[in-house]
Amino acid sequence: MLTMSHLQKVYRTHLIETSALRDFSIHVREGEFVAVTGPSGSGKTTFLNIAGLLEEFTGGEYQLDGIDVHGLDDNARSRLRNEKIGFIFQGFNLIPDLNLFDNVDVPLRYRGYNAAERKRRIEEVLGRVGLASRMKHYPSELSGGQQQRVAIARALAGTPRLLLADEPTGNLDSLMARGVLELLEEINTQGTTIVMVTHDPELAARAHRNVHVIDGQVTDFDGEPSLRESPREAGIGERESPRAEAAPLHS
Amino acid sequence: MEIRPILSALMRSKVSMILIGLQVALTLAIVCNALFIISERLERMHRPSGMNETDTFWFVSTGFGQGFDVRGTMQADLALLRSLPGVADATTVISVPMSEGGWSTGISLQPNQNNSTAETAMYMVDAHGVSTYGAKLVAGRDFRAEEVTFNTMDDPPKAATVIVTRALAERLFPDGDALGKQVYYNNEGPTSTIVGIVERLQTPWTSADFVDNSTFVPAYLPYATSSRYLVRAEPGRRDEVMGAVEEKLLAANPSRIIGKMKTIAQVRAEGYAGDRAMAIILGAVIFALLAITALGIVGMASFWVAQRTRQIGTRRALGATRGDILRYFQTENFIITTLGLVAGGILTYGLSLWLMRSYQVPRLPWHYVPVGFLCLWALGQLAVLGPALRASRVPPAVATRTV
Repeated sequence: MLTMSHLQKVYRTHLIETSALRDFSIHVREGEFVAVTGPSGSGKTTFLNIAGLLEEFTGGEYQLDGIDVHGLDDNARSRLRNEKIGFIFQGFNLIPDLNLFDNVDVPLRYRGYNAAERKRRIEEVLGRVGLASRMKHYPSELSGGQQQRVAIARALAGTPRLLLADEPTGNLDSLMARGVLELLEEINTQGTTIVMVTHDPELAARAHRNVHVIDGQVTDFDGEPSLRESPREAGIGERESPRAEAAPLHS
Repeated sequence: MEIRPILSALMRSKVSMILIGLQVALTLAIVCNALFIISERLERMHRPSGMNETDTFWFVSTGFGQGFDVRGTMQADLALLRSLPGVADATTVISVPMSEGGWSTGISLQPNQNNSTAETAMYMVDAHGVSTYGAKLVAGRDFRAEEVTFNTMDDPPKAATVIVTRALAERLFPDGDALGKQVYYNNEGPTSTIVGIVERLQTPWTSADFVDNSTFVPAYLPYATSSRYLVRAEPGRRDEVMGAVEEKLLAANPSRIIGKMKTIAQVRAEGYAGDRAMAIILGAVIFALLAITALGIVGMASFWVAQRTRQIGTRRALGATRGDILRYFQTENFIITTLGLVAGGILTYGLSLWLMRSYQVPRLPWHYVPVGFLCLWALGQLAVLGPALRASRVPPAVATRTV
C-alpha cells in the first residue's frame, strides 16, 4: 500500500539546512495498522505529511498504492489524496461554520460525486460513527470525542485505501480516546489500512506494528506481519496484539 | 458549485457579510444615480447650441458722456464691423446661447390667455441676426431691414414678425405648419407673425426646461448707452478679427468703453462650468466609493484568508486543488456581492425616486442597474482575486501543524 525507500526530506532556508527524514524506508502492506512513534521533532509528522502527499520529498522513492508519486503535479497530488487517503488530525480540523453533514461533504464535493451519492455516503458514515442524528449540528455543539468521530466519518466518506491519523487521540481524555481508538480498530478490521503517528506508547501498542523514528530515520520496527492473500480475510486483528476486542462503535 | 455550504457558512458570520453587502448596496445605488447625473450633465454640455460657436465672439460697448448717441453709434458700429477684413457678419444682440442672461417671455395663441402656451427666449437682432448667429433657416424667410425697429427698455419691441426655432414652432403648432401663423408675445397684442423657422437655437439658460424654444425679434435694443454686438468671423480668422475690433471701434468713437470680448467657446465653457464641476465631483465620489468598496472586499477577504489558513490547509488535505480554493473565495465573494446588489437594486430605484421628487432629476433608465450589477460583480471578483490567490497557495501541510 505504501512503500518509501531511502526517502530524504531536507528543509532549506537561506541560513540552514535541516534533514527531517534521512534514508527513511518503510513498507506498509494493505490492511495493516501501523503506529509510527518517536519523540517530538523526530520526523513523524514530516513522514505523515509526505505519506499523505501534503509535502514533497527531496530524494528517494515513494509509491502509494502502486503509484510512483514523485514528480506528480499539485493537481494530481490533490486528486490522489482525495481518492486514496483519509486524514484524521489531532485537532480534528472540522470546519466550524459547517454542520456535520457539510463537513463530511467537503472531500466528496472535491471528488465530484453527485448530490444523491454524497448524501448516501454522508448518512452512511455518520451512521457508522453514531452521529446520524446530529447531522445538522455544528462542531462546537459536540464533545471532543464526537468531533473526532465526525473527522473519522469525513475521512471514511470517500472510501479511502489508506487512513493517516496524526495523534488522533492527542486532544481527547482517556475515555474519549478509547472510543476513538476502538473505532479505528474496527475500521481497520474492515480492511482499511491505517498509519497512525503517535508518541503515546499505550496507543502504539494497540497497532499491529510499531515503527520507531528518531532523527528522521527508522531506528526500530516490528517485523512485517506475514499476511495472507487478503488482509481482510487474514484478519490482522487476530495476530497477537494487545489490542482490545472490537467494542461497539457508539460508546 | 459550493453555493449552499458557502451560504450557510456565511450565515454563521452575518456581520461581516452584512457590512460588505451593505457597502456594495450603497455603492450600487450611489454609483448608478451619480453616473446617470454625470451622463445627463455631459449630454447637456455637449448639446449643440444651434449657432456657430467656432467663429463667433461678442462684446459690449458702453458709451459715456452727455448726449451719447447710442442709436447712431450702433448703426455706425455695425457698418464698421461688417466692413472689417475677416468679418463674415455682425449684428446687435441682447444675449447669446449659454450666457445665462437674457430675456424670456410666454407666448400665447389667443389674446388674454390665462396660461401661456410656451416659454421662449427672445433674441433681439437686426436683419443680419440669423446669419451672424449661424442659425440654419429651414422654412420661411429672414428679416427684412425695414422690419427692424429701434426700441429701448422703456419701449420694448412689438415684434410684428418673428423667426422661431423648430422646437418652439412644433410646441406652438404641433398639428401643422407654424409658418405664417400669428402668436401673442404680449397678452393684449398686437400679434406677431411667424415668418421664418430656424433649425435650432438654444436659450441663454443652459438648465432651462424650454432650452430649445427661442425667438428672433427684429429690433435694436440697447440698454441705456450699452449695446452688445455679436460678430462672426470668416472661418479661422476669429482671433485676428477680435484683435482688430476694439482698436477700430475706439478709433471711430472714443467716447465709450469696449468690454472684454468673449468667444462663444468661452461662453460655453463658463455656461457649463457648474455642470463640469458637478461631473468631476461626482466622478471623484464614484471613484472613491468603488475604491473603498474594493479595498473593503480586499481587507475582508484577506482577513478571512488569514483567519481560515488552517481550514484552507484542511480542505487542501482533503483533496481541494488550488483552483478549488480560488473558486471557493470567488464564489463566496460572488454570493456576498449578489446579496448586496439585490438590496442595492432596490436602494438605487429608491434613491432615483427621491432625486426625481426632490431635484427634478429624470427617472433613472433601467439599464443602469444591470450594468451596475456587472461592474460591481467584476469589481468584487477583481478585489478578491489577490486574497483568493494567496489562499490557493496555502500548502496542505498547514493542516497538520499544531501551531
